[in-house]
Amino acid sequence: MAARVSTSGAALLASLGALSLLTLTYGQIALPLADTVGALTGTQSSDLARQIVLEIRLPRVAAAIIAGAALGMAGVLMQALFRNPVADAWSLGLLAGGQLGVALTVTAAAFAGPAAVSFLTFFEGPSITLAAAAGVAIAALAMLALGRRVGAITLLVIGLMLGFTSQGLTSVLLHFAARAGGRVYGGWRDASFAGVAPSALAWLSLPILIGACVAVATAKPLSSLLLGETYARSLGVKVTSLRYAVLAATVLLVAPVVAFCGPVSFVGLIAPHFARALAGTARILPLLPLAALGGALLALAGDAIVHAPWEQHFLHLNAILAIVGAPVVILILIFSPAVRQWR
Amino acid sequence: MLDLRSLAVGYRNTRGTVLSGIDLAAEPGDFICILGRNGSGKSTLMRTIAGLQTSLDGVVLLDGEGVASMRPATRARRIAVVLTERQFNPGLRVEDVIALARQPFTSWRGGLTDDDRAAIADAVAVTGVEPFLRRFFTDVSDGERQRVMIARAVAQTPRLLVLDEITAFLDLPSRMEIMALLRSQAKQKGQVVLLSSHDLDLSLQLADSVWLLDGDGGFSVGTPEALSESGSIGRAFDTEAIRFSSSQGRFEIQMPASPNP
Repeated sequence: MAARVSTSGAALLASLGALSLLTLTYGQIALPLADTVGALTGTQSSDLARQIVLEIRLPRVAAAIIAGAALGMAGVLMQALFRNPVADAWSLGLLAGGQLGVALTVTAAAFAGPAAVSFLTFFEGPSITLAAAAGVAIAALAMLALGRRVGAITLLVIGLMLGFTSQGLTSVLLHFAARAGGRVYGGWRDASFAGVAPSALAWLSLPILIGACVAVATAKPLSSLLLGETYARSLGVKVTSLRYAVLAATVLLVAPVVAFCGPVSFVGLIAPHFARALAGTARILPLLPLAALGGALLALAGDAIVHAPWEQHFLHLNAILAIVGAPVVILILIFSPAVRQWR
Repeated sequence: MLDLRSLAVGYRNTRGTVLSGIDLAAEPGDFICILGRNGSGKSTLMRTIAGLQTSLDGVVLLDGEGVASMRPATRARRIAVVLTERQFNPGLRVEDVIALARQPFTSWRGGLTDDDRAAIADAVAVTGVEPFLRRFFTDVSDGERQRVMIARAVAQTPRLLVLDEITAFLDLPSRMEIMALLRSQAKQKGQVVLLSSHDLDLSLQLADSVWLLDGDGGFSVGTPEALSESGSIGRAFDTEAIRFSSSQGRFEIQMPASPNP
């Protein structure tokens, strides 16, 4: 099994590297591979190539990889915590909750006055991440409380509905915020990796790095939780503190993605299934790196299609992810033995 | 080895105290069956003994140490449980389920040492789950599932094994096989095995001692023969339709008196 995990990990890493290079070469201006590599390594390359690769395309590719990895890991955590094969940050409304958190903060600042708006604009990275984290955390706590009362599929439907509600509210709030002069940052309304400035990459990756460490630390007791709460307790797991630790890791992984990339759908839902199939196990620790790599690959592939040299820029990231992701979810709902138990 | 001292079990809500004033002891190698009708407090008692529920009064001591005040990790090394509750396990294979039993003994990563592997191999051998180790846990039959959970409990190498109505879904041969397996575990490894069951016949044949709950908060303890002769079993289980015959050691259906003899 360990061999399976490392082989799949290596294969995923290689594909990710290859796809990243490919994505860096194309766009409105096609660059030969040699120029791209040259720009990356700092050796012989034109200034234009260097500017396009390092300042425009590389931040986008890096954001896709980091956000995809974070969503994949968060999906593993949530599917184990909720014991629900269709749980993830997007499907249970955590991403929409994060957006609502940001919208509320922006609106509050807009009505508080120009000083608050400029404060928010100046500390854009941390303040938007914090606002998103509050929204994500509240949504996650609500779903956790609900998850103990309703079945997996009911929870999925409720999560999607709450997501729609939050998005509706977000849209209304932003309208009023804009009228009050609070147009701080609009990049996260629709999912995209292109809006992440090079300076924002640190704010994106730091919480995710901490979240990944917490996720790894909770991996062992979380594996026990797959047997159910009582068995986990009989194996020495402190279930309540484990729940909060996993929730904290999820918020750290997801909030920066909402803040900088918007509600990226399906990646977190599919990547864990992908990882389980590759690893041949449901133990959490080997799943985390595989789901991270799988999520990164999926997110980058979506971005690569969006930014392919089309006649005009017309594709949305979530449209691509939905075309690929929704059928996979339908297959999971039809064929997963775990879901069958809930029908 | 296992001592219950003036133990009272139950809930701090409207259900209140279920059983109280329990003073019992068990020695290594004891195979004990807890008998009683539904709602007599079997599960509550077993959960309290296993440290999964706090007692209302009194203590449960295992090797002289209070189960309730043990660190969770220490308790997990000494007490293994098997319950009837069924859980959803996404993509968990049978071998994963059994290996999880070693988690109280492993480092933070959960990697298995040679000792862990030996304990797992032993548990797999005695329970006969080898043929379906690679299957998904959700895909095995009810009987196989119980066997896997028992293998998991055995692999935990506990001092005390607590099993709650685990034979409920099984046919007679499997029930007999599993009860015999657990009895020999107790004898060979010097563990205390505590099993609750509806299965009066088998329990009376195999148990070293029976803890009998009568459903009204009372209980009696003794060897199967003693309880059977004293009429305690009859008092706990008899209804208008069935009656326990202590001479036969089994239940008899009470035929209604025929209206026209």
